[in-house]
Amino acid sequence: MMSPSVARRTIATPVLLGLLLIAFALVAVAVGSKPFNQTVIDIFLKVIFVVGLWVFVGNSGVISFGHIAFACLGGYVAAWTTIKPMMKGMSMPGLPDWLMQTEIPYWGSAMVAAGWAALWALIFGSVLMRLSGIAASIATFAMLAMVNSIYSNWESVTAATSSVVGIPIIRSIWPYLVAALISVFVAWAYGISRHGLALRAARDEPTAAAASGIDIPRARLIAFVISGAIMGMGGALYSHSIGIVTPDTFYLGLTFITLSMLVVGGMGSLSGAVLGVLILSTLIQTLRWLEAGVQLGEITLALPGGVQEIALGAVMILILMFRPAGIMGNKDLSLPQRAALETRGPTGPRT
Amino acid sequence: MKRLMTALAATTCLTAPALADDERIVVGFATAETGFMQAYDKPAQDAAMIRIAEINAAGGLLGKQIEVVNADTKTDRAEGAKAGLTVIDAGADMVVVSCDYDFGSPAALAAESAGLPSFFLCAESIKAGIQGVGPNSFSASVLAAVQGATMAEWAHNKKGARTFYRLLDTWTEYNKGICDGFDWMLPQLADAKLVGEDTFLNEDASIAAQITRIKALPEEPDAIMLCTMMPGAVSAIKQIRAAGINSMILNGSGVDGSYWLSAVPDLSNFFVPVQGSIYGDDPNPDVTAFNARYKEATGGDPSTQYVYPGYVMIDVWAKAVERAGTTETAAVVAELEKMNAEPTLFGPRTFTSEIHHQNRARYLIVETKAGKPGVVDEWTISEAIPVAELMK
Repeated sequence: MMSPSVARRTIATPVLLGLLLIAFALVAVAVGSKPFNQTVIDIFLKVIFVVGLWVFVGNSGVISFGHIAFACLGGYVAAWTTIKPMMKGMSMPGLPDWLMQTEIPYWGSAMVAAGWAALWALIFGSVLMRLSGIAASIATFAMLAMVNSIYSNWESVTAATSSVVGIPIIRSIWPYLVAALISVFVAWAYGISRHGLALRAARDEPTAAAASGIDIPRARLIAFVISGAIMGMGGALYSHSIGIVTPDTFYLGLTFITLSMLVVGGMGSLSGAVLGVLILSTLIQTLRWLEAGVQLGEITLALPGGVQEIALGAVMILILMFRPAGIMGNKDLSLPQRAALETRGPTGPRT
Repeated sequence: MKRLMTALAATTCLTAPALADDERIVVGFATAETGFMQAYDKPAQDAAMIRIAEINAAGGLLGKQIEVVNADTKTDRAEGAKAGLTVIDAGADMVVVSCDYDFGSPAALAAESAGLPSFFLCAESIKAGIQGVGPNSFSASVLAAVQGATMAEWAHNKKGARTFYRLLDTWTEYNKGICDGFDWMLPQLADAKLVGEDTFLNEDASIAAQITRIKALPEEPDAIMLCTMMPGAVSAIKQIRAAGINSMILNGSGVDGSYWLSAVPDLSNFFVPVQGSIYGDDPNPDVTAFNARYKEATGGDPSTQYVYPGYVMIDVWAKAVERAGTTETAAVVAELEKMNAEPTLFGPRTFTSEIHHQNRARYLIVETKAGKPGVVDEWTISEAIPVAELMK
């Protein structure tokens, strides 16, 4: 599959990103405040979503507006498999009997969610991946609208637009850290695999890639399924982080914030995806603290409510003005001595 | 990497969390200060603050001044969970959460898992309480189903309505709740008959098809039970009247307020159940006095009856704390559950170990006559709506 030399040459990237995530987790533990802990959990969830998005968008160059649909599929898997059977019967009476009686731990539900989302990514993808460019993007958006519409109306199975409650809440930071690390490493492994390389080749030179024997729809489908699985896992964990799930949580708001994080960080690299989340989340959080007010001696300084959204937009425009390819551009984080080698671009494995 | 360091440095600039302290009594508001829920949360929260100020002025609770901490949910569920945890960390003894069940439940669940009591500001779903959060969660308002049941029974007994038409806007749980209460009450009313029913969606620009079916009835129904809310309600009402249908229109509390009446000039034969009157004609003069205090504190009159539950909430909670002699959760919840027809400014309130919501309540009936709303009557349903019925 992959030549060891490529893995060795690029392993620094996921390791550095992993260390960064671990550093965030340690800060949360050191601070020891519940809301801050929840904030960092939220950041890890965004990392999972954006990395999942990157696996497809970054490698294929096709912007997807539909990936949050897979998070929605995953979120409801958590509801279907972890809520106590008695409560499930009340809110979702239409579930099949075997599912009604199922009660598995949260990590089990995250795995099932990944599988379920991957299955649907495979089904949708086999059709969608034949399209390119803007047609593909709009088709993914149509998929999001479709999933949202089904989940908002299928009363007996999803409780329609009502919140589904009773999902066990996991407030410990570690499961989310582990899941974020898993997604980073899976994304890295996919990126350096022959499939990832083939897809990037198809992104940059579709004609040449096709002429070299790359089956572009198939290469895209593989990325779509892997990214769908990561999104599904993230969706299930999102449900466990707040304990309720509704279809409108997984719609336009989350779609656009995750896409902006990816674009601002830099679509071209895995580091861009992760750093985009960390930097924008840190910025959002800082602005929220300022909105809430900061005590400076005798006086409290506070920004008017709503400034956070405006400032975030302004900062994003500034970043894109000066770095149109995102903060990281196409570069990945790596150890200094390797940097020179990296800038030449990946040479990729020969198969 | 420099950017990274800045980012990391920024995250560590946190103030240490305030420690919970038994010497203080703290009410934590995890409500929306921004976003669309703010329009619902802010008025009720202002009313709650008025009650807190009154209690503090009268010497406080258990001899201590009530302190308040706030956290903004941004009308977002994930932020709601954080807001809940923030006020809990700041030492809240009771957590007040957003008006709506969907937006309030993440913070309420956070309070529940921290073993603290929580109150929804004005949620009207049975889920806002034991059934959807846990044994320490309450709602300060009255169930939507009670509004539908109240209107049906009152129209039958006081207005002689016998033929009813049910028009449901399927947009929200609240709307469905009103019609569920109506459905439960109707079969118990002698000679009352449902002559037809229909549904529409709040965003529908035209309900011409539904109106045609009402017009096609051999006789105009005595009353139309209209289960809807703003903003779609205005257009529906306007179209019903423009079509020349003059039946009584019965509503839930969601359409209370005079702010929209100019859109339907000279509206008549229009009835709304309210917990208290914002029109200055409440039978209880203390309510009118409260309205004046509210205006003094916020600079404006209450715009709808949804201001009042915030006041009731602090009132009943403070009484329970006073009786329990502590803010300890189990004791306070036990005292709340002992309340049976506990008098408040806006009617008696009852909580039991089965339901932390009102499945029966006194409602004032506001009639709009030639575009002028005013209280004409009051009504309490003859029997509380059974919990099993509400859970359907």
